[in-house]
Amino acid sequence: MPFNAKSGKFNANINTVELGCGDKKIAIGGENVLPFYTFDAPVENAPKVGVEITDGILENEPECVKKYYEGCESIADMAKKAASLEGVDFLCFRLEGGDPNGADKSTEELIGMVKEVAEAVDLPLVIAGCKNAEKDAELLAKAAEVLDGKNAVLLAAKEENYKTVGAAAGLAYKQIVGAESAVDINLAKQLNVLLSQLGVSSTNVVMNVGTAAAGYGFEYVVSTMQRVKAAALSQNDNMLQMPIITPVASEVWGVKEAVASEADMPEWGDAEQRGIDMEVETAAAVLASGSNAVILKHPVSIATISKLVKELV
Amino acid sequence: MHKVTFKFENSEDVTVFAAFGESLLEVARKTNVAIDAPCSGNASCGKCRVKLVSGELDSKKTRHISDEEYEKGWRLACVSTICADVEVLVPDIASAYKSRMKVADLSSPDEVKIFDDLKEQVEEAGITLANNLDVVQVSMEVPTLDDTMPDNERFTRVLQKVSERTSIQIPYSVLKKLPDILRAGNFQVQVIIRKTNKDVFVYDIFTKEENVVVGGLAVDIGTTTVSAIIINMLDGSILAKASSGNGQIRYGADVINRIIESAKPGGKERLQKAIIEETLNPLIRQMCKEIHMDPMHIYRMCVAGNSTMNHLLMGINADPLRTEPYIPAFFKTNSLFASDIGIAINPDSHIIVAPNIGSYVGGDITAGAFVSMLWNKPEFSLFIDLGTNGEIVFGNSDFMISCACSAGPAFEGGDISCGMRATDGAIEACTIDKDTMEPVMTIVGNEGQKPIGICGSGIIDVISELFRCGIIDPKGKFVREGKRIKRDKYGMGSYVLAFEEDADSVKDVEITEVDIDNFIRAKGAIFSAIRTMLAYCDFDISMIEHVFVAGGIGSGINMSNAVHIGMFPDVPLEMFQYIGNSSLSGAYAMLYSTQSERKVYEIAKNMTYLELSAIPQYMDEFVAACFIPHTDASLFPQQ
Repeated sequence: MPFNAKSGKFNANINTVELGCGDKKIAIGGENVLPFYTFDAPVENAPKVGVEITDGILENEPECVKKYYEGCESIADMAKKAASLEGVDFLCFRLEGGDPNGADKSTEELIGMVKEVAEAVDLPLVIAGCKNAEKDAELLAKAAEVLDGKNAVLLAAKEENYKTVGAAAGLAYKQIVGAESAVDINLAKQLNVLLSQLGVSSTNVVMNVGTAAAGYGFEYVVSTMQRVKAAALSQNDNMLQMPIITPVASEVWGVKEAVASEADMPEWGDAEQRGIDMEVETAAAVLASGSNAVILKHPVSIATISKLVKELV
Repeated sequence: MHKVTFKFENSEDVTVFAAFGESLLEVARKTNVAIDAPCSGNASCGKCRVKLVSGELDSKKTRHISDEEYEKGWRLACVSTICADVEVLVPDIASAYKSRMKVADLSSPDEVKIFDDLKEQVEEAGITLANNLDVVQVSMEVPTLDDTMPDNERFTRVLQKVSERTSIQIPYSVLKKLPDILRAGNFQVQVIIRKTNKDVFVYDIFTKEENVVVGGLAVDIGTTTVSAIIINMLDGSILAKASSGNGQIRYGADVINRIIESAKPGGKERLQKAIIEETLNPLIRQMCKEIHMDPMHIYRMCVAGNSTMNHLLMGINADPLRTEPYIPAFFKTNSLFASDIGIAINPDSHIIVAPNIGSYVGGDITAGAFVSMLWNKPEFSLFIDLGTNGEIVFGNSDFMISCACSAGPAFEGGDISCGMRATDGAIEACTIDKDTMEPVMTIVGNEGQKPIGICGSGIIDVISELFRCGIIDPKGKFVREGKRIKRDKYGMGSYVLAFEEDADSVKDVEITEVDIDNFIRAKGAIFSAIRTMLAYCDFDISMIEHVFVAGGIGSGINMSNAVHIGMFPDVPLEMFQYIGNSSLSGAYAMLYSTQSERKVYEIAKNMTYLELSAIPQYMDEFVAACFIPHTDASLFPQQ
């Protein structure tokens, strides 16, 4: 009897969500198979790779990343440079200086920078907040307003501020709402339910189900993503069918494997290579677990992951 | 040292000396001043409010006290430390847990009906309603110079003849009064005996004229509430019924905090004293006074309580219950007597203890499972006891499985800022108008009673209504604004059920986001335990044919609302039946009927105990259930 491979194609799809506008518009999601299971059915949209820059311009970048942005003096310069890197599909601008417990930059200042970035590049934009729920509510609502028509992702609405962020981004300015939860399939779904009850269309939502650097409780991340995809596809759970976008850079570039200097850790080898390795490993793993887009920082990681995706899809 | 004076509205001041920096709540505890502190002094419940009358307190501000209240002198005892001489007023609401012991009015048919129904069901199940206590009339020859047999010999002989047993045991308490009673009754007496196959034990002796009552005492010891009845052991009639708060509550609202407290030096004794001397004995005295009965005429007692309560009642080390692998000191004991632990009834009374089956499934559940009669039905039933711990039994006449989950005290009004038990002033039911957001409430008590707080059944109604009206989102956060929606300076929302001027309280009666969150956790614990246990047995909700709900949440519980918020599975409403305090009625059955007692032991032996903490998916189920009604809306198709 001949061997007949059974197709692992599902009757349900991940939502297709378009980001950005104009020529550089991209789409994520849409697949009806497990990640990279191109042998079961074509993967509608290949996973996308974004580059992250922050309002600190070069200030908070890792040493090994700084050299790629040499000569950049304004956020606009940096955005242009980032957009020109090989393999970049979209640009993520993180407003980390807004954190009241950190630099506590004013909303006006940061929104001014958002405008500069938006004028400098034509790539799809992701605006990430400062992780303080209260300040993010203000920042992201305002960013949604000034980016009217850009179809940008606002990352992220959390349980604490979903009403403000969701209403501004998802209802008033028809941007894409990033829904962030903390590595738990139920919490992820609950936030999606809350957003949809608020009136945000589920095709205007992408999820950040939480992440970690590889090795840092990462098995929870993998399991959560896999279970989200399994529920979305095999159980047709439409409250989990939003594509997943995973900010990898902000996790990876904070762990010792990526940042410890060679002077401190001579036995670990070249510091830059370590950072790249961490970022590539984490990104590859979250993509294999179900992420539809990753946000990275190091140009080499971006090029590597982009190549990986092209080879597989 | 500083002088600390506690003042009360209705009783004398208590003065004590305390060191600089000592917590006011600790000082109060040491002095036996009752300040309600269900959260054990973590500043999370806001129940331990006191009012500064004079002097100073070093006191942090918390979200539980508004600026205005702080100005007036209100402080939380748990975050206040001693820094100078001070006088504080302990308000009556703070000592409300003692809750003016409540003696039930037995003339109301509802109070007795539940026991009458039970007797009927027990007999239908083929169990005899009888016990081995009896009153016998005996008459002896009056002694003469020719008949010089001592009194106890004479008495023993006649009892041997009447009872057809050779072994007659006469305890010291009877021997002591034997000569007087015999002579006062001219050697014609009535005797209260326990007759077994082997022997006869004499409890008491009376003259022939005396109106003898053979009393029995059934007690349900809940973590929060204690209820008791006194019965006539000969015909099973209920003579008195009463309830009060569990005096141990000041050592913590839940079993874990109690165990921690009991493990401290002198802790076992303190907790035993709190339940026996401060709770049970006053309760017994009060009931006996009501019915003009001598407490010494109670000759048997039956206790149903959770495993921790059973251990603490007996003064047995409960610490192993709390730590892995969670081992109780006993499941069943037959050797406990009133004199052993100082219960103020006849000292020779045997205390029957409803058996535990696990560290967190105790006698309250074995007794309750008996009452639910699920062991006598071929179809599958679910028995849910809503207490501080939620316990669940699932099964039928062939098998039973049980588990416990920590629901917290929310169902009894604990951990809820305006929570209270279902006594006078409690909001027990509520509807809300969707457009105006105005509530219509039912309040426990006489007509015109103003609301003071909200009890378990009221909380279910309020949350269900707030959700139905779109005032809160499925996470319990307020999403509408209006006159009745308040926000504090931290942004936390609350819904005002009664403004201060309409309430019999010092502040608005309201339900806050924190309360709702606590309640959602409680209901999530119950629902996820049901789901996990059913999944463990490879069953699903559609196989349930009866749901018996027990516990102090009150007969006012609205099953439809409880399903609406995702507390109970979405099965047809006619399957639900509220069976009241099944722990107490189970204790009653065991007390009155020896065969029932044996049946409960048998149930306990046959019931499987499922340790939820050992099942990994329980936590997942719990998070999924912490949503109104549930993260998986398909589990609630009727909505």
